[in-house]
Amino acid sequence: MRKFLLILALVAVAIPASAQQVNLDFPGLADRAEEVVDVTLDSAMLRLGAKFLSGDNEDERAVRDMIKNLQGIYVRSYEFSEAGEYDRGLIDKVKSQLGPTWKALVTVRSKTKENVNIFADMHGDKVTGLVIISAEPREFTVVNIVGPIDIERLASLEGQFGIPRISRGKNSD
Amino acid sequence: MTAIAPETADAGSPLPQARLGDHDAFAQIIERHEAMVYSMAYHFFNDRGRAEEIAQDVFLQLYRNLGAIESDAHLLFWLRQVTTRRCIDLTRRARLKAVRLEDVGELRAAEKRSDALLDRRLRALIEELPDIQRAVVTLRYQEDLDPSEICRIVDLPVNTVKSHLHRALQSLRRRLGEHR
Amino acid sequence: MNLENDLKRALRRESPPAGFAGRVLEQAKSGAAGSQPAGSRRRAESSPFHWWRAAAASVMLAAVLGGYALHEVAERRRGERAREQVLRAMSIASEKVRYAQQQVREIGSH
Repeated sequence: MRKFLLILALVAVAIPASAQQVNLDFPGLADRAEEVVDVTLDSAMLRLGAKFLSGDNEDERAVRDMIKNLQGIYVRSYEFSEAGEYDRGLIDKVKSQLGPTWKALVTVRSKTKENVNIFADMHGDKVTGLVIISAEPREFTVVNIVGPIDIERLASLEGQFGIPRISRGKNSD
Repeated sequence: MTAIAPETADAGSPLPQARLGDHDAFAQIIERHEAMVYSMAYHFFNDRGRAEEIAQDVFLQLYRNLGAIESDAHLLFWLRQVTTRRCIDLTRRARLKAVRLEDVGELRAAEKRSDALLDRRLRALIEELPDIQRAVVTLRYQEDLDPSEICRIVDLPVNTVKSHLHRALQSLRRRLGEHR
Repeated sequence: MNLENDLKRALRRESPPAGFAGRVLEQAKSGAAGSQPAGSRRRAESSPFHWWRAAAASVMLAAVLGGYALHEVAERRRGERAREQVLRAMSIASEKVRYAQQQVREIGSH
């Protein structure tokens, strides 16, 4: 029987304030993983990338708009050939870095499917950062968005853009 | 010194007209490339219905992005890349793996090897490969691309592509041997 | 058994069901594609566009001798790479948030 624990809070688009970047260093994990996605974009790289997003393409225009006030986007995603190849304690390792301004928005827990924790850095009722932790039997993913982000708008992206998710292998960017 | 030549479509190519909104020209583009796109998706999921849906989505996406396609060579690259990435993305969204019981039964009971049965077995085994290996095998053996071409489509270093190909073939050989 | 030959045979191209191109075209025309092809908006620009590109290529060729174009090419590559990284990151984040939302809806419907 699947069990779900669920906490849901309302969020609003944020005004820029101090935002927290989380340490996403997981020693040795990449070596054990079959596939690795490693994205590190500070504000300079985000500005550069935004210049090359197409104004003719509706999806890319939406992304360009969403990232314009961000200070960073960081992704670490590891896919393993077998279940149980990473320590689930890594979830707590990430969570323990989140200070008192961070609130749990959604917690999805399942024994057989994907566990997802979404945390938002709240200043008043403004979101100034986001951490998403996803733990599946064969995959562990953490996303840290530093800066104001509209979560509803993020969810509405189709995830394609002609460049949907693909691994970079074990050589990170 | 670097020579830079502007990209053009091949003579007789429907691409320039399609870019201008000519639907007949766009239909010609679909007809030229539908087998490639459909087959890539079919060999990825071993499911004809799903393959047709994916192929349809890819061509609709092409329709939206025709202005960005600079040449026939670029079109071919774009279609292969988008189809591959769409298949991989869909694999990663799938939460439950469907097992077709009739295929499992037939694979285990096979005593006489025929090409048709072997083909079916291979396609089923390919479907069980990790997504990147599946993509690499399809691009190598369906599209006859070498690793240096595959690495551009999947955006991985060439040695990583070779490693994936090697592991995929090892896995297929081992599993084929298990059914003897 | 030659596995590579067997794979080439097993993975040979096949055509989709008859009428596939027509079905796609109908969807594209009906607006399911989301927008008209971007090229159709440049109908009046196609000839001057090619002229411009040929002229730009000549200018860039001259600039290569001074090293300026090499910098531009490198910058463009960095920019394209950054763009891909942005899209990749947003795609992953979007997928996870959407999954969580879906679970919320499923819980709410029980």
